[in-house]
Amino acid sequence: MKAVFISYNQAHTLQVNAILDKLEVRGFTRWALTEGRGSNGGEPHYGTHAWPSMNTSLMVFCKNQEVEPLLDALRRLDAEAPQQGLRAFVLDAEEGM
Amino acid sequence: MKIYESAVRKPVSTVMIFVAVAVMGLFSLRNLAIDMYPEMDLPMLMVMTSYPGANATDIETNITRHLEDQLNTVDNLKELTSNSADNFSLITVELEWGADVTEAANDVRDVISRSTSLLPDEAETPVVFKFSSSMIPIAYLSVTAGESYPALAKILDEKLVNTLNRIDGVGAVGIMGAPEREVQINVDPNRLAAYGLTVESLGQIIAAENVNIPAGTMDIGNHTFNIKADGEFTSSDDLRSVVVSNAGGRTVLLSDVAEVRDTLAKMTQTQYFNSEPGVMIVIQKQSGSNTVQIVDRVFAELPAIQASLPADVELDIIMDTSESIRDSISSLSQAVMFAFIFVILVVMFFLGRWRATFIICLTIPISLIVSFIYLYVTGSTLNIISLSSLSIAIGMVVDDAIVVLENITTHIERGSKPKEAAIYGTNEVWLSVIATTLVVVAVFMPFTMLGGMAGIMFKELGWIVSIVIVTSTLAAISLTPMLSAYLLRIDGGVHTYKGIGIVYKPIDAFLEWLDNFYAKVLGWVVRNRKKTFFSTMGIFIISLVLLSLVPTEFFPAQDNAMITATVELDQNLSVEYTETVERQIDAIVYEKYPEVTILAGTAGANSSDNVFAAMERNGSNIITYMMRLPRMSERESGRTIFEISDLLRADLEGIPEIRRFKVVPGGQDGGGMSGASTVDVKVFGYDMDATDAVAKDLEKKIAALEGTRDVQLSRDELRPEYNVTFDRSKLAYYGISSATASTFVRNRLNGLDASKYREDGDEYDIVVRYGEEFRESFDNVEDVTLYGATGQPVKLHEVATLEEEFAAPTIQRENRQRIVTVQSSLGEGFALGQVVNEVNALLEGYEVPEGVALEVGGSMEDMEDMMGDFMTLLLLVVVLVYIVMATQFESLKMPFIIMFTIPFAFTGVFLALWVTGTPLSMIAMIGAIMLVGIVTKNGIVMVDYTNLLIERGMPTREAVVASGKSRLRPVLMTSVTTILGMMPMAMGFGDGSELWQPMGIAIIGGMAFSTLLTLFVIPVIYTMFQLNKDRRAGAAATKLANRKAAAAAKLATKKVK
Repeated sequence: MKAVFISYNQAHTLQVNAILDKLEVRGFTRWALTEGRGSNGGEPHYGTHAWPSMNTSLMVFCKNQEVEPLLDALRRLDAEAPQQGLRAFVLDAEEGM
Repeated sequence: MKIYESAVRKPVSTVMIFVAVAVMGLFSLRNLAIDMYPEMDLPMLMVMTSYPGANATDIETNITRHLEDQLNTVDNLKELTSNSADNFSLITVELEWGADVTEAANDVRDVISRSTSLLPDEAETPVVFKFSSSMIPIAYLSVTAGESYPALAKILDEKLVNTLNRIDGVGAVGIMGAPEREVQINVDPNRLAAYGLTVESLGQIIAAENVNIPAGTMDIGNHTFNIKADGEFTSSDDLRSVVVSNAGGRTVLLSDVAEVRDTLAKMTQTQYFNSEPGVMIVIQKQSGSNTVQIVDRVFAELPAIQASLPADVELDIIMDTSESIRDSISSLSQAVMFAFIFVILVVMFFLGRWRATFIICLTIPISLIVSFIYLYVTGSTLNIISLSSLSIAIGMVVDDAIVVLENITTHIERGSKPKEAAIYGTNEVWLSVIATTLVVVAVFMPFTMLGGMAGIMFKELGWIVSIVIVTSTLAAISLTPMLSAYLLRIDGGVHTYKGIGIVYKPIDAFLEWLDNFYAKVLGWVVRNRKKTFFSTMGIFIISLVLLSLVPTEFFPAQDNAMITATVELDQNLSVEYTETVERQIDAIVYEKYPEVTILAGTAGANSSDNVFAAMERNGSNIITYMMRLPRMSERESGRTIFEISDLLRADLEGIPEIRRFKVVPGGQDGGGMSGASTVDVKVFGYDMDATDAVAKDLEKKIAALEGTRDVQLSRDELRPEYNVTFDRSKLAYYGISSATASTFVRNRLNGLDASKYREDGDEYDIVVRYGEEFRESFDNVEDVTLYGATGQPVKLHEVATLEEEFAAPTIQRENRQRIVTVQSSLGEGFALGQVVNEVNALLEGYEVPEGVALEVGGSMEDMEDMMGDFMTLLLLVVVLVYIVMATQFESLKMPFIIMFTIPFAFTGVFLALWVTGTPLSMIAMIGAIMLVGIVTKNGIVMVDYTNLLIERGMPTREAVVASGKSRLRPVLMTSVTTILGMMPMAMGFGDGSELWQPMGIAIIGGMAFSTLLTLFVIPVIYTMFQLNKDRRAGAAATKLANRKAAAAAKLATKKVK
């Protein structure tokens, strides 16, 4: 069981949803509007006058073997529009119910 | 869900909503009538009181003054003017514009009913008239005839007047100058005396002979028959054989003592059309009906009417007020169309993509169409105000869409799908788009609150521009993102220059170069702040000097292809003589001014008895002219009505019989919006002789000024008259009262209406009077025979003396003071302000006798009123714009920086007016006020982006340059669309465009100049303020650090202790 934290420019919402549907990843929690700055440079997403864009964050829980295809798909999406901002981090999930 | 998100997610609904709006708008447009101005109720009431037998002075003291004193209490009263003439008093109550005229009319009636007890018993009850625009004739027709001329009145009454009166919306159809049939009994007083008859007894006999009397009924068997005794004359010849006396057993017939003539009444007025005798038809509309529609209906009937008239009767149109309306509307519609095309081209030029251009330009028709719905709902018309409002708005409506689309494109370039880009791109800018719209609304909404005449004219402008701009913003945040989501391509970023797109390659390169060039110059300017600041301030100060060189005027005069003229000959000249002079002038006009297509001349007094006639100068010695020319564009000689008028004045100057004259290019007398302006010097004072002397002196001096024409006094010269003064004791001796004696004189000279002669359902007067040869001279009048109580004849000279007198002229008053106005029109090429300055210089130090006061009025008075309104408006606009911006930026300083461009906009206005030689008129001022909104909009775009860059952490100077470079295109786009949108108006093609030309010129000049300076001055001032702030912040930080250090040091020393 793995947890994948994905934070991305909200403009990617539809594409990320499509990826989750395609890979049949069911378990996730979404925060529709989040703020963030990104670790690899790029523009901050603050929803302010200076930085008007916003992020959406996802916490996905999936089986271990589902992680790699998900990250692949996300990488491809990020490569298409690197300026938008899309990051994912994989964590261990110990137990679920 | 936000509006733009819903729009993107529900494209069908969005499209349908806008289609519905468009359909409603087009439906409204179809039903909109066209007119010159928005409907305005002239705030004027008139009180007319007649008091037969009183002369002007009596009328003034007994009627006018009492009524004026009472009327002075009416609410919203602006000015009271009055005219006291022989037999009647006419008081004009002018109310403030926008006052409720119906309510005021009720007030006036109340006042009058309170004051009737103050008036003399013999005076008739005052009548209150509402002065409505429907009283102004909408068309004049001329009718000329050959052999049918004598019967013209009857023919026209049956065939023309009745038909036209039936047309819906036609108020009144009047015939002027038609010959009236009259049966004249011209008696020979000598024969009359010989048979012991009098004019009165002849009258009685004729009346008694000319009756039909029902004589009862008669039963024959089962039937009942009416019996009547028809004594009425069946032919005018019957009159001759009327027995008037049987004295001494000899039958005396009417033909024995008088000449019986069935002829035309002596005309007090004659009309000539292109030198043919004729009749003028005046058509008035009903209040509230539409001029153009009615004229259309009337003209549609004319061919049928013409066909029904005898072959020699010719109908022609002298004046058609709908023509200039149509011309103005069509040229303005063209201006709007051209503006539309220009704006599309500009957007295409800057964006280089047809899809983007299409999306942006679609907001134009949608926003404009909404204004038609507004006009339809409020019952207004397509008029020059509403159309020029559209012309003004057209360059502004695309701005919001451009901002939204630009941001969406940026998102697409960063890799968003169009749909997401549309939603999130709009989300980022929608609030600031609404804020800039608020600024524009803050400029135009105050127009709707204007009072006075300006309010009537510009209320509609305020509403329309506000509505159009708000609609464009709504479209920009719903329709634009929706269309962008579905029409924009994913590869929106880089232009491919494929196919026809190759054309765009050099443009793109040019824009690129322009961006870089501007950035370079801006960098230099920002480094040399003081130089820039002071040199621009210098330019502004120079422009203020320039302002004094730009003449001012009220409203630009329009060449509406009409000239009217009033020519006054020496007093007491007969109509016949006046007519010969008229012919002389006609000949001059034909020879020298082939442009004049219709020349309608009227010699003599106006016979109609309406209020208009009472206000006009009347008399047998007066000729009035109406001249119609082809439209300016179709005039071969290219001479304007103003040039022709000036030449005509010179010609009239050369005719010795003419005492004075007045030529009015444009046809309206002073007042009104398009007519010629006048400069009036008002001479107040009770003493007639003193004011007359001053006025005459001024008349001479003002006429000598360069810019004045047709200088005239409002007070008529004293008029010579013969006054019959009865000796009462002698009258008493013969047992005649004064009244009977006067009636005797009147019956013999003016005539006695004895009875009516009836033929074919029409009635004609039978008038008994002395034959013409017995009332031609002074002696004839003295020889008039009166009859005493016992019937003995008395000659007039036995009981009365005939004296030549100078009758008091009409007495005019303004605000309860006697007044003489010295009125002058402006010559070709002179602006109102110039002439007023000349006149003011003349009046400076002018000595007036005790009790006489001078004042300059005329169009200047209205202009100053309006100028005052405009200054208030400007102040209101500036304050409102400041408030809106201060809340938007949450700063008191930013709006100040942005508003720094406003003075430069005015510099541009003055410069443009000066270069083109256009006077500063009210219309140009409206343009200048509008600039406040458009110019600040540019400033907001610049400052907002600079703020953003600084917030993102860029150093001030870099931020200023970077934001300038990035905002150059949007700023240029806004400015160029506005400038090109105004171009058709400023170039003034089309008839009737003169009125709006100054606005176009003002906006173009102001916009071009302020844009240029906005691009440099705003960054400079911004940098100055910002660097100051940085420095202060820096200083404060150092101070704080020092204090902290000191405190720490103190603490350290304490601890050590």
